[in-house]
Amino acid sequence: MDKAFEIQKKARDNVKTLHTYLTDLQNWEIEMKRKEAALNGDLEQELPPVRSKVKRERPVQVKQKPEKKIVASDYQAWEKFDAEKACEEVDMADLGPVSLDSKKSNKIKTEKLKEEAQYEKERGNSFVKQEKWDEAIACYNRAIELVQDDAIYYANRGLCYLKKDSLHQAESDCTEAIRLDPTYVKAFQRRASAREKLGSLRAASHDLSEVIRLEPHNMLARQQLECIKNRMGTKGAKSKSSPTTPPSETKAAPEKKTKIVELPDNKTELSPLEKWRDGVHENITVIKPVKKPPHLRSKRALKHITIQEIPLGRTIDKSNDTNNNKSTNVTLAADIQEKMVFNVNDKLKESMVVPMNSVQFMSEWKYLKGNDRARGDYLSIIPPDLLPSIFENALESDVLSSVLRTVHNNMDRFPHSVAAYLKNICRVKRFSALAMFLSAIDKELINNMLKHCRDVENLSESEITDLMNKYEL
Amino acid sequence: MENEDTPQIITHIEHNMNHCLFDCKWIPCSAKFVVIGSLPKGSGTLEIFEISSGELKKVKEIERPNSFKCGTFGASSDIERRLATGDFKGTLEIWDLEKSSQVYITKEHTDIINSIDGMGGNTVNCGAPEIVTGSRDGTVKVWDPRQRGKAVANMQPAKGEIRRDCWAVAFGNSFNDAERIVIAGYDNGDLKMFDLRTMSLRWECNLKNGVCSAEFDRKDIPMNKLVATTLEGKFHVFDLRTQNPTKGFAQVLDNSAKSGTIWVARHLPQNRDLFITCAGNGQVSLWKYQYPEQRSHVDSNGVTVGVAGKLNRLQRMVVSSQPINALDWNRDHTGLAVATAYDQCVRVIVTTKLNLH
Repeated sequence: MDKAFEIQKKARDNVKTLHTYLTDLQNWEIEMKRKEAALNGDLEQELPPVRSKVKRERPVQVKQKPEKKIVASDYQAWEKFDAEKACEEVDMADLGPVSLDSKKSNKIKTEKLKEEAQYEKERGNSFVKQEKWDEAIACYNRAIELVQDDAIYYANRGLCYLKKDSLHQAESDCTEAIRLDPTYVKAFQRRASAREKLGSLRAASHDLSEVIRLEPHNMLARQQLECIKNRMGTKGAKSKSSPTTPPSETKAAPEKKTKIVELPDNKTELSPLEKWRDGVHENITVIKPVKKPPHLRSKRALKHITIQEIPLGRTIDKSNDTNNNKSTNVTLAADIQEKMVFNVNDKLKESMVVPMNSVQFMSEWKYLKGNDRARGDYLSIIPPDLLPSIFENALESDVLSSVLRTVHNNMDRFPHSVAAYLKNICRVKRFSALAMFLSAIDKELINNMLKHCRDVENLSESEITDLMNKYEL
Repeated sequence: MENEDTPQIITHIEHNMNHCLFDCKWIPCSAKFVVIGSLPKGSGTLEIFEISSGELKKVKEIERPNSFKCGTFGASSDIERRLATGDFKGTLEIWDLEKSSQVYITKEHTDIINSIDGMGGNTVNCGAPEIVTGSRDGTVKVWDPRQRGKAVANMQPAKGEIRRDCWAVAFGNSFNDAERIVIAGYDNGDLKMFDLRTMSLRWECNLKNGVCSAEFDRKDIPMNKLVATTLEGKFHVFDLRTQNPTKGFAQVLDNSAKSGTIWVARHLPQNRDLFITCAGNGQVSLWKYQYPEQRSHVDSNGVTVGVAGKLNRLQRMVVSSQPINALDWNRDHTGLAVATAYDQCVRVIVTTKLNLH
């Protein structure tokens, strides 16, 4: 009975393995088709010479050498002899002639490899999403095998090791990633986590402060750093009381040393070049290049900036003027500030686009909060008859009142369309309900605007009364 | 008795053809293979098949007036994937299968090319791309695809000696740019090892029966093992690490199977200690070579002698009614193989659980 059962089980197992094998095979077929498509193209390899040709080339080389030799007594020839060139030739002979073809084919080769590695990475990433760490690691291994100098592959593999609690491997991978890309925030963060789990708190906090330096708004890193610092506080006290220092402390020690070395560097007097670079004692704002990792860079299209040429002398005069004004008159300084705001507004206006829906409108509106003038600019670029289609039924009463206020405060900027705005706002869905919640201040603003309409825009009485009814005045 | 780890050998796809088949080779980096054969009217065919979800799809067919006998991709890179073929008239051709045209053609052999092997196409620092051919005219020639029309090396019997039919050739020991060895098996049972670096005969022996196939377990390492199969159901495994000046290489012989000629032996590309033999009765057998505890010992004269290991049969399976004359393991997928037999069938064979050995 047992035997029969055993045979049955074996048969079932065999069928099962065969089945998995065949599904594997099918996946492999698909994979191969993809790989094959990627292979289309010529690739030249550097190959050793044809067997029979090796011998033929040798005697030629032997012949060449005696011709070049200069007899020791031939002083004229020695005078013409270019020693540097000869040295160069000797150096080149070591390297061997480098053909351009091989370089080109190498370039293609690396591109192919990169493509392949990228594919492996994506596969790895999908495994990470499914939390299949081992498979993901295998993918990243392959990617690293193909392309050794990409920080992302190391950092991603580091993450997998971290998830698998292979902390030392995670740490070394992150270190490698940081070596390749010293601004890679994720790698720092992952190394910090690994080091924290390993117990080297000081090193972890070092990494986290690096993260914060690169990404000042990274709240997660701040919290983690805070947490580690708390732990360090308690641990430090413990280590002082106990004579045996834990291994984590010894590990962190070298980092401490480097800190001591760094400090005097900061205090040293700046060299003239550095002063010039930082614009010390000059009334200019120095724009420094920002080094950001690709994933943090702005996704917005680059703005076109027109560069104005200004004669050197005049700028100095102006800056002197402003300096004097500042020192003598505070009110003037305020004036300048206002002008600056104006300039900012002009710039903002250039970047504004007409919104298509309430979400776009609201994001821009919120962004311009506190800058009534800019909001006025923003409204002015929106054709009034588009308002109902932009808001549909998403207009809130507070937004309405802010819009009304903006229109009111900027009445002089669109002298002929105040009435158009008021009319079109009425056409927004659910307006009658919103009108009921209008505050007394809002109503006063509307009254003012209506007056403006009557005086400046020559609106007829009937239209004005119609509007008054709609706004429930 | 079977246990849990015993591999299964299963015919995954069987495809009947209407003509005689001689050889089959996987096209590197693809799920395709090429079948080499001859039509009844005497013309040769190259057919490319693709496996897709359990079926064979014919991708391409090339027909030429002369029957093809054998082919290899060994001397071509994975990008170019050019097939070198030998035919019944002694012509060596290299094919660009994409364009269905020859890129190299030479007729130096006077009779059928029985066997072909290639090396150096896709391995780095393992020497030049070269093709070796063995022919009925008794010569073994080595070719470089970059040198047109003329062999780079020619091994033939001295004048006056009888020319034996060369049935099997293979490359090996090509672990750097200089070293390379050709093994050649003849119809009288001679097995000769030629050293291409020194251009000399390194070793020879006689296996008593005609040598049908010979293969190194790996081509691109210092030579380790060699399998040579013969008529009358025998095959020899040589340990090539230690060469004794008088005794040569240690060997183990298997003649347990009364299965007729063993036509071909092929090592698993993923595990060099496993190989499959294909016999005249249509049976394939999977073997494992077990190394002895020490691969060499010093004899009484102070000379090292190699010690042969043991052969262990893992599985056998009759897959055909006629002799299986060619088999090729897939390099990219463990356990996948294609085989041709004299029953005019091409079979895709899968072997499971190979990773457990």
